[in-house]
Amino acid sequence: MSFLDRLRGNESHEGTTTNLPSRALLWLIASFALLLSPQWDRLPLWLIAACAVLAAWRWLSQYGRVRLPGRLLRTGIMLVLIGVYVATVQGRFTVDTAASFFVLAVGLKWLETRSVRDFYVLFFILVYLATVNFLFHQEILWALVNFTGIALLLVGLQVLNAPELPGGMTSGWRRLGGMFLKTLPIVVLLFVFFPRMSPLWSVPLVSGEARTGISDTMRPGDISNLAQSSERAFRVTFGGEMPAYRDRYWRGLILDYLDGETWRQGQREGFRPLGRVAVDGGIGELEANQYDVLLEPTDQRWAFALENSRAISDNVFEDSADLFRFRRPADSPVRYRLALEEEVSATEAQSSAELRRYLQLPGEGNRRARELARELRRAMGDEQIIRSLLERFREQEYFYTLRPPAMPDDGIDSLLFDEKRGFCAHYAGATTFVLRAAGIPSRVVVGYQGGESGAGGNYLIVRQYDAHAWVEAYLDGRGWVRIDPTAAIAPDRIESGLRDAVAEEGSFLENNWASPQRYADVALVQWASLQLDRINYQWQRWVVGYQGQSQMDLMSRLPGGFGMRELGYMTAGIVGAGLLIAGLISALQMRRGERRDAFRRVVDTWHRLCASAGVPVRHGETPSVLASRLAKAEPAAADSARLFARMVNSHYYSAGKDDEGGEQLKRMRRLLATMKRQLRRSRTRTGKPSD
Amino acid sequence: MKNPFRNRFSRWINRRIPRSDLQTFNQKNIFILPTGAGVVFGLLLVIMLLTGINYQNSLIYLSTFLLGAVFVGAMHQTHRNLSGLELALVQPGEGFAGDDIPFRFRLKAGRDDGIAILLSCEESGLAPVHVHSGRSEDVTLPVHSAHRGYLRPDRVRIETRFPFGLLKAWSWLRPVSAGVVFPRPVPAPEAFSTVEDGEESAEARSVEGNDHADIRPWREGDLSQRVLWKRFARTGQMVVADWEGEQGSPYWLDFNAYPGADHELRLSYLAYLVNERGRSGVRFGLNLPGQIIEPDSGPAHAARCLRVLATWGEERPRDAMAEPHGTRKKQRETTSQWVAEGQA
Repeated sequence: MSFLDRLRGNESHEGTTTNLPSRALLWLIASFALLLSPQWDRLPLWLIAACAVLAAWRWLSQYGRVRLPGRLLRTGIMLVLIGVYVATVQGRFTVDTAASFFVLAVGLKWLETRSVRDFYVLFFILVYLATVNFLFHQEILWALVNFTGIALLLVGLQVLNAPELPGGMTSGWRRLGGMFLKTLPIVVLLFVFFPRMSPLWSVPLVSGEARTGISDTMRPGDISNLAQSSERAFRVTFGGEMPAYRDRYWRGLILDYLDGETWRQGQREGFRPLGRVAVDGGIGELEANQYDVLLEPTDQRWAFALENSRAISDNVFEDSADLFRFRRPADSPVRYRLALEEEVSATEAQSSAELRRYLQLPGEGNRRARELARELRRAMGDEQIIRSLLERFREQEYFYTLRPPAMPDDGIDSLLFDEKRGFCAHYAGATTFVLRAAGIPSRVVVGYQGGESGAGGNYLIVRQYDAHAWVEAYLDGRGWVRIDPTAAIAPDRIESGLRDAVAEEGSFLENNWASPQRYADVALVQWASLQLDRINYQWQRWVVGYQGQSQMDLMSRLPGGFGMRELGYMTAGIVGAGLLIAGLISALQMRRGERRDAFRRVVDTWHRLCASAGVPVRHGETPSVLASRLAKAEPAAADSARLFARMVNSHYYSAGKDDEGGEQLKRMRRLLATMKRQLRRSRTRTGKPSD
Repeated sequence: MKNPFRNRFSRWINRRIPRSDLQTFNQKNIFILPTGAGVVFGLLLVIMLLTGINYQNSLIYLSTFLLGAVFVGAMHQTHRNLSGLELALVQPGEGFAGDDIPFRFRLKAGRDDGIAILLSCEESGLAPVHVHSGRSEDVTLPVHSAHRGYLRPDRVRIETRFPFGLLKAWSWLRPVSAGVVFPRPVPAPEAFSTVEDGEESAEARSVEGNDHADIRPWREGDLSQRVLWKRFARTGQMVVADWEGEQGSPYWLDFNAYPGADHELRLSYLAYLVNERGRSGVRFGLNLPGQIIEPDSGPAHAARCLRVLATWGEERPRDAMAEPHGTRKKQRETTSQWVAEGQA
């Protein structure tokens, strides 16, 4: 709609009441509310409030409580809201701001929804809003919300098109349901066979909002914040046995540069051009040593992997230091596949030049820790140093706690010698510090540790509170060795997870009232949340995750090499066949309907009778004309033919009142029989050949 | 540019849909195309598909396919909404020229409901009608009339956009029967009757009874004999003298009473008079060239006279292709319901 058009259109019915049926409008508004709900966490509050007010305004005006604003006021509202939008967005262009603008446009449209055409405009926008929602939320419940929103729109359209239809709402739902069931097979086939092309162009979903998850810097308090979140990080299915709890170290990234208190990545990750990353790792059978990871979006390129893994799916590649990376930030759930390898005994020795960066320390600070390192160094070799350090953690009164005290100056010193209370990040940082000070190349590894089994026990759920930090040290001849000070201080954390480790303290998810994991000791809650997760997992794996690689895997099982081209043909075939079948069915129904119509059958019999008497029915001929022609040809049957024609006529023109108990039909049949007798008799009398 | 194509198209339609007062709609005569909204919907699906491809989002694929299926389903639904439906012209209307003539149609649904059926003819249309399966529904469609005579709409369009308004299915009924449009009544000037009372006596009387005359300006249809020519010579004004008792027999309304007036105008005068007489209930007869209706009274008589006025000199429209579903004989009463021919 051009701007001029809009101006003109509004001029003509400024302030007049609209002709949209209220019930249709109600469905539209309901759908709007429903389709906004998946966006609630990314939309600014003022926008949601504004949308609510605008929609309510439209609704009230339907009943004449308020008037829709005139052009001036409307422009004013528009300018104000867009002003607020510009002020809050501050020039950032992310998916969130784009989505906000989209929602803002929908909200403003409410004030000018006057005609049927506006209704359709809103319909189209809302359908696309549902599409946008799918970009952000793919869980089964959100998908249901979106599909319900679309269904509401379709019911609303039906009401719009037949406003006065009694019982229109129920019949609308029934019609929609019937349509859905009838077309479901075609939809499923299309879903399976429609070729999943690679993206035509690459548009990353840049979100301005920080994701919950590990980050590429670590300050001592960082990971304990994560421990308050029970959001899912990823889920894993193993082809063979699941590794034991204590071996579930999911390596994510390596922090090797200590900058004051903060651990960072020493080298920026090498720049790589954004690739068109497949979000799908295939659905081929998992071999015994393989595992599938379904990672929730992180907006990062890190892929979490167990030690000694090898990339199987081509959407991950192995970066330096046995870490895995995607070709593009994971802005939607990504599934990738890795394989565990036998431990490689011969690690390639790293040059001392390379190792030097793992000895980096700030110039000063934490003098006591350095002193400790010097003492250890004086007495022992590398492995002994590590062992005695862990021994120290195990034997002295170190505590693993989610409520560590503040340690502002020389944090590592006060952790090691004074407070002795900390979380994994504290201990990993301190251990690395001491090892480095003692001349052992070492680094902090950040990732996750653990994971609870999902319902049915055949996959693992790793949550944000499983985030963990540990240490790797380089030993001559053995390569990089994992050292976990947390294991020495709180073995429970490594053996069975955070919940048990902080059970005494009672701090597990203490700030997270809404998390179902917090109430895991209530069996029902635990059961329900696990079942829901299982459904979601299957949904993600088989429906959401059904993309290029999975499709190819599935197709490779079919006989005859199925490629993209074959899939294309197949799709065309399905669409064609679907239309054909539907056409055939409707033709068949029509035919059957005609046959079922008893009245028509009787008339057909009459026509046949006439034809056999030498008076074939002509196109468009009326019963009475036919009857008079028959009467002329066969005077004996004249009366019955006229009577019959009159009955046919009165059947056609008897308004609404249907034949009670088929009396009329019976009479017509009797009459036909009489006519037949008369014709036969006359024929035998005149000796006319019957043909 | 468009016209030759249009003409061809409409000839093709006419071949496809023969004239008949009864039309059952089926695959052969239902046309279906997306509406403007339907075209936009198609574009939206393409955009959704592109979004799905670009973000590799299975759920967007899924919703695209679902909505595509809904579109195809709507196609069937819209088609079925019309197919099996019978549309019959049960009573072509009557009325005065310039008015909307009410045509009564009967819609009868087949196996499926016919929901939100729109009936229209040229500019006039009806609100959506719902006919449930096996039921029938009578509707009255006003058809605009321009002049007297037989009125036969070339095509009555039946359309439905249900359920979603994304597609429209339509067809036409091309009725055989024609409505009757009476001449538009125009207040008639006083007139002579040429029946029974001769012109001479009227003239004689007019000369004698000059004194009782009302003088009024000349208007079309006044006899030239009655113009006061003397006065015209004096003042230049054409005035006519009206005086009582000057008419011929009050029983006769006469076509020839308005010499000089256009035929159509005469018919309009007569229609006016018929209306008037019909209302007041007096006896009157109608004298048209070639057609005489004996004096009678009552609304039925008036209606009969109007019909004669309407169709005088007009040919009943014929179409070689078809005959009306039940051939109507002349109708006896205006108020009579249309009855199937056999019962008449």
